Amino acid sequence: MGVFVFLPLVLPLTAWPVARLAEQHLHPRAATRLLSGVAVVMAVCSTVCLGLVMVVGTAQLPGNPLPDGWSDPEVRAAVPYDEVAGKAAIPALCAVLVACGRTLWRHVRVRRGAHRALAGLPGTEVVVLPDGVPYAYALPGGRRARVVVTTALLDRLEPAERRALFAHERAHLTAGHHRFLLAVGLAARANPFLRPLRTAVSYTAERWADEDAAQAVGSRRTVARAIGKAALVSRATPVSTLAGFAAPGPVPRRVAALLGPAPAGRSWPSAFTAVGLAAWGAAAGTAVSAMSSANSAVTMFLILYAATPL
Amino acid sequence: MVDDRQGPRRRRQGELEALVLSVLGEAKEPVSAGWVQERLGDDLAYTTVITILTRLLAKGVVTRERAGRSFAWTPASDQAGLAAHRMRRVLDAESDREAVLASFVTGLGPDDERLLRELLGRSGGE
Repeated sequence: MGVFVFLPLVLPLTAWPVARLAEQHLHPRAATRLLSGVAVVMAVCSTVCLGLVMVVGTAQLPGNPLPDGWSDPEVRAAVPYDEVAGKAAIPALCAVLVACGRTLWRHVRVRRGAHRALAGLPGTEVVVLPDGVPYAYALPGGRRARVVVTTALLDRLEPAERRALFAHERAHLTAGHHRFLLAVGLAARANPFLRPLRTAVSYTAERWADEDAAQAVGSRRTVARAIGKAALVSRATPVSTLAGFAAPGPVPRRVAALLGPAPAGRSWPSAFTAVGLAAWGAAAGTAVSAMSSANSAVTMFLILYAATPL
Repeated sequence: MVDDRQGPRRRRQGELEALVLSVLGEAKEPVSAGWVQERLGDDLAYTTVITILTRLLAKGVVTRERAGRSFAWTPASDQAGLAAHRMRRVLDAESDREAVLASFVTGLGPDDERLLRELLGRSGGE
């Protein structure tokens, strides 16, 4: 398997161009699905390879529970730089598992806490909370899924804009956007090179809900105004970016996108445009990543199978 | 793990708070804790009712005034107010809650506000 085992660890870099371009050129629905899929495949491949390298690394440690045959010179020869990489892979894989576990745990905790907070209220789909802090969230939860809005936010919006807000949150729930967000969140934990994909997907998921809301309300402008007003009301929590170097944040980009023409529904970009090239690059990176991790896994399995005395 | 053990208990507390609050909401005037206990049914100890009322008082959801040797209680807000309070606590405990809950809007960067006002001004003018 040779150096191939390390490829899936760095191949996520091929997805960076498309993470940047997809949000501008693809329909948000297509972009969200494409980027999440790429992120998940790459994260799985990268973790598999980390695991394979770790097997060799662990087999060298005295007192490990693995069969002795696994530290055979043959097995070590299959992984380049087995001494350094093998041992480095142990803490790396542990860090990945801990980080993913924490992300998953936090996801469950916040959802449970939020549902618990709403216990005792009538089981309506939309919950309006009397609160001076403006916010709105889509709270997933199967049949208990709810849209939570505060009076502070609703008071600032016109009736049509309120409908846009509800349609946006409902779109999050019906399309199950929390699953995409959780998937890319876990992927970004599994391989830090996948972080730009997480940022891109959290933007495209919002855009997806914006477009669905625009269709439900029948006016892109109304959705744009609802987002703009809501952001200006709740601007008390600034994102930490360096002043002066800050590119426009996600909210102005969403508003600008809604004020522009609707994104094309089905057209897949030609391979000769920038986004087409980037998409093909990401697809090729994902394919190579999947192939080399599969190749490494099979090789490793065969070697270990041969090396294990039965 | 700690939370796993506390989970059912906490939920129970939340439900009890909501129950006590709904009983208080039925009262036409400030009422005693004993009256609340009676209306709730006999499966709750008097001290439990007092504990819940005190907790609601700390959250600013109920108020009380002296009436002879005990207190008379009135709801300051309804169940929705209590839920709002609990929700805020859940959200405030998460520094990065956008990672879990899809929020309608995220925070604005330094130049975003100006940009946003320009965009909205343009859209309103047309």
